[in-house]
Amino acid sequence: MSGKVIVITSGKGGVGKTTSSANLGMALASRGKSVVLIDADFGLRNLDLLLGLENRVVYTILEVLDGECRLEQALVRDKRQPGLALLPAVQRRDKSAVTPEQMQELTGRLAEMFNYVLIDCPAGIEQGFRNAISGAHTAIVVTTPEVSAVRDADRVIGLLGAAGVGEPRLVINRYRPQLAQTNDLMSVDDVLEILAVKLLGVVPEDEQVITTTNRGEPIVLAASPPPAGQAFINIARRLEGEDVPLMEFKLPAGNGFIARLRALFTGR
Amino acid sequence: MQTLPNSLPTQVTFKGTLEGLRLLIPVALPWEEVALQLQHRLNAGERLWQGGAVVILEVGERLLDGLQLRAVTEMLAAQQLHLRRVCTVRRQTAVAAAVAGLSVEQQEAPPEENSDKPPALREQAEPLYLQTTLRSGMSLVHPGTVIVVGDVNPGAEIVADGDILVWGTLRGVAHAGAHGNTRALIFALRLRPIQLRIADRVARASDEPPAAPQPEVAYIQDNTIHIAITTEFARRW
Repeated sequence: MSGKVIVITSGKGGVGKTTSSANLGMALASRGKSVVLIDADFGLRNLDLLLGLENRVVYTILEVLDGECRLEQALVRDKRQPGLALLPAVQRRDKSAVTPEQMQELTGRLAEMFNYVLIDCPAGIEQGFRNAISGAHTAIVVTTPEVSAVRDADRVIGLLGAAGVGEPRLVINRYRPQLAQTNDLMSVDDVLEILAVKLLGVVPEDEQVITTTNRGEPIVLAASPPPAGQAFINIARRLEGEDVPLMEFKLPAGNGFIARLRALFTGR
Repeated sequence: MQTLPNSLPTQVTFKGTLEGLRLLIPVALPWEEVALQLQHRLNAGERLWQGGAVVILEVGERLLDGLQLRAVTEMLAAQQLHLRRVCTVRRQTAVAAAVAGLSVEQQEAPPEENSDKPPALREQAEPLYLQTTLRSGMSLVHPGTVIVVGDVNPGAEIVADGDILVWGTLRGVAHAGAHGNTRALIFALRLRPIQLRIADRVARASDEPPAAPQPEVAYIQDNTIHIAITTEFARRW
């Protein structure tokens, strides 16, 4: 097997890298693919929390690299989705604990065992970022429709190109259609105009994502996923090469009216 | 490891400066030897730097291609050294570095033996033509005119001694006539910069975007920077 190694990165923190990783991993696994999620955020691990797997972590990536355990021993299998495994990050050590070469070797081995190797990259563009991207074939860049997040995403896209990671694709997370319509926040088109990369999906802002994440149950697992969960499922399908049209965001009638009034007055 | 005076340098050298580490790669050394020496120097655990230090690569007249630049970047990165800028007098190297996403400073070639021109009349380098998007964090310094076919994004910077032409949207910072030429011009298909500078003048773009996007030009008149629609500017001048 020769799986795809994809790094999920953003530059800026708090835009939803880890949430996206957990949901995409889960969505791909529920589509019958074998997926391993690597938590590359050493020292600040929390992918295990989001997946609700914290209490089952025994070994971490560092023990694997140090030869203290076999790779298979460190992988935590998800009980809900047997196709999904997690390779946890170390908590005690910092980002200099591994080298890019070690990450390359490790992701290479995992790519032979799984259809998808998803790497959850730490925020920033320092050593932890360089480690996380070093074994990746392609990248998913996560941003929110805010100028600071887009600026950092732009920087990261430049760095990915310099590092020879293939054409990055974009996920716009926490999208607020109402604010975009009234020009109070960047719209999808505004973001794409600056970043000029392929759009993989748009995930609307949804409080349910926060609550389900807190419970360790990615939102894609919901019996009838809300739009945010459906958006992640659509992204997984697009990763699989399916042609899924972008979701239409229906604006609540009241808001739409107020927005229109406001546009009338502000001239926007 | 010392080089004798009056002989061509044959050593890859690090020099500590206030700005960061300067990495000097001599012209005459074969690439394999450069790579080997650099790796040796880095493995030797130099006390010159601390993790996270920035490096300015000075290659002078040496040609480096994209693969070689990437190799240098990776070797430095393995020691937590960050390559911030490439200084070169060769256009090919400057282009390769820019394509690799590195910041570039293209210097002028060292003066010829018979160079007796006064410094005030210094000639500009050939125009630098780049077909790429300059993304946030990239900086391009060139002693001549710069032509970018692509966008210049917010957070990116161009500093040119001559004019700056952007066949795309200019959203970053552009400084034309950086050595004092007040007749330098900045053209862009869409001019939406964070800041414009010509010679020693600074202008901030207006907060209100113009109604219809048209190619615009920035120039100095009466000591301040003005912006005009290119077609009208051409008619007047």
